[in-house]
Amino acid sequence: MLAPATIWLLAFLLLPVASLLAMSLAKRGPYSSVIWTFTWENFARALDHKYLTVLIRTMCYASATTGICLVLGFPFAYFLSFYAGHRRETFLILLMIPFWTSCLVSIYSWIIILGRAGLLNNFLLNLGVISTPLGILNTPFSVILGLVYFYLPFMILPLYSSLEKIPRSYIEASYDLGAGTIQTFSKVTLPLALPGVFAGCILTFVPCIGDFLTAEFLGGPKTYLIGNLVQNQFLMAQDWPFGAALTTILLVSLISGVYFYQKLEAAELERA
Amino acid sequence: MTKNKGLAAFCASIYAFLYLPLAVMFAFSFNDARRNVVWKGFTLKWYGSMFHNAELLSALVTTLELAIAASVFASILGLFASYAMTRHAPFKGRGIYSSMLSVPLMMPEIVMGVGLLSFFVRVHIPLNFWTLACAHAMIALPYTASSIRARLLSLKDSRLEDAAMDLGATEWQAFYKVTLPLAGPAIFSGALLAFTVSFEDFVTSFFIAGIGIVTMPIKIYSMMKFGVTPEINALACCLLLLTVVLLSSQKLLAKKETQS
Repeated sequence: MLAPATIWLLAFLLLPVASLLAMSLAKRGPYSSVIWTFTWENFARALDHKYLTVLIRTMCYASATTGICLVLGFPFAYFLSFYAGHRRETFLILLMIPFWTSCLVSIYSWIIILGRAGLLNNFLLNLGVISTPLGILNTPFSVILGLVYFYLPFMILPLYSSLEKIPRSYIEASYDLGAGTIQTFSKVTLPLALPGVFAGCILTFVPCIGDFLTAEFLGGPKTYLIGNLVQNQFLMAQDWPFGAALTTILLVSLISGVYFYQKLEAAELERA
Repeated sequence: MTKNKGLAAFCASIYAFLYLPLAVMFAFSFNDARRNVVWKGFTLKWYGSMFHNAELLSALVTTLELAIAASVFASILGLFASYAMTRHAPFKGRGIYSSMLSVPLMMPEIVMGVGLLSFFVRVHIPLNFWTLACAHAMIALPYTASSIRARLLSLKDSRLEDAAMDLGATEWQAFYKVTLPLAGPAIFSGALLAFTVSFEDFVTSFFIAGIGIVTMPIKIYSMMKFGVTPEINALACCLLLLTVVLLSSQKLLAKKETQS
C-alpha cells in the first residue's frame, strides 16, 4: 500500500533534489549541458560579491517580511480567536479567499495600484498631497509590500490555531489571581502561543526566500532575490550547475534556519 | 471594550488591505480601456471577448484536465499511504515517512520546479502533460494525505472495520464495503483541495511544462510579460468565482465530516 506514495516521493522529490545537489558540483557545458566533474567553482562564484549581495538582500527582505507579518498577524489572530465569537469561521474563510486567488492576478492589481500613473498616485495627486507622481513601484518597499500581502495568511493561520488551543480557564485563573491585562498577556497568553509564533515565522520565511514573481513584477533588477537568480540561470543563462548551486545554498540556508528555529523553540518552551 | 473596538478596526483595515487588489481587479474588469490604468467607462466587452479568445479557452481546458488528473492521482496516493500508515503494523521510520509526505508544503516551489526540470531532462523523461500532472499530484499529496488520514484515524477508533472482519469479511471486503464509503467525503474534500492547488499552480508548471502545454497561470504570466489585455481582469474574476465555489463546498464537506 505504501509503494505508490514511495515511488512518487522518490521520483518527484528525493531524486530531483539529489540531482540538484549533484549538479551543483558539476561544470557547465555548451548550451544547457552538464560536464560531470567535481568542482566547488559554482559555490565560489555564488559567494562572489555580485551574488552575495542578492543572497543578503533575500535574507533581509524575508526577515523584514516575517517581522511585519508577525506584527500585523498577531493582533489579527488574537481578535479572531478571542473576540470574533461564532463568526470566526466566516472571518477565516474571508481570510482565505485572497490567498487562493491566483497570485499573478493580485500582482497585476498591485501594479495598477502602485504604478507611476496608478491609482495611489492619482489619488494623492488629486488630494494635493504630492505634486509629482511617486516612484513606488520597483522599490524595496513595493517588493516587501507584495511579500507581506502574499504570506500574511501563512502567519495568521498557525497563530490563530495556537491561540485557539489555549484553555480559556487559564486566562480566567490569571485574572482571578490578580494579574492585570498586560501581565496576563505577557505571562500566560504569549508563552502559550509561542509554538504558533514559531510555526508562523517558518511558514512565512520559507516561501519568501523562494519567491521570484513578486520581485520580477513589483521590483526590478535592483531588488532581485535569489529566486530570480535561480530562474535566470535555468531558463535564460542556461548555466544549470550554477543555478543548482544557488538552489543548494537556498536549501541549506532554509534547513539550517528551520533547525535553528526549532532549537530556539525547544529552549523557549522549556523555559516557559 | 475600547481595546476590543481598536482591535476590530485594525482587523478591518487588514481585510481592506487583503481585498484591495481583488476590488481593483473586479472594477477594472469593466473598464473600457486597452491601457489598463485609467478609468475610461463601463463595458462588458472583456467578458464577451474572453469567450472568443481561443488561446485562453484552450489554456482553461488544459488547466482543468491537469487539475482533474492531479487530484485523482493525489487522492489515490493519499488514500493508499494513509491506509498503510493507520491500519498496518507500525514500521520503522513511520514518523519520518509521514513528515516526508508534508515536505512539499515546506519546500519553496522554485526548488521543486528546478529540481524536477533538471532531473527529468537528465534522465530523458519527456516533459509532457502526464509528467506535469504527476508533479502536481506530488505538490497536492500533503493536502489529500492529511485529510484522508484524519478520517481513517477516527474510523479506526469506531472499530467498524473490526466488526466487519469479525463477521467474516476479508480485509479487502472491509476496505471496499466499510472504509471506502465512510471515508468518501474526506477523500472528496481532499481531492477538491488538490484540484485547487493544481489549478492555481504557476511555479512548478512554469519550469516543467514542456513546449505546447499552456496552463491558465502560464498564459496569464505571458500576457503580463508581453502586452497586457484587460481580459486578464475579467478572466480572473471568473476564476475567483470558481475558486470560491470549490473552497466553500470543500469547507461545507469538512464541516459535515466533523459533525457526523
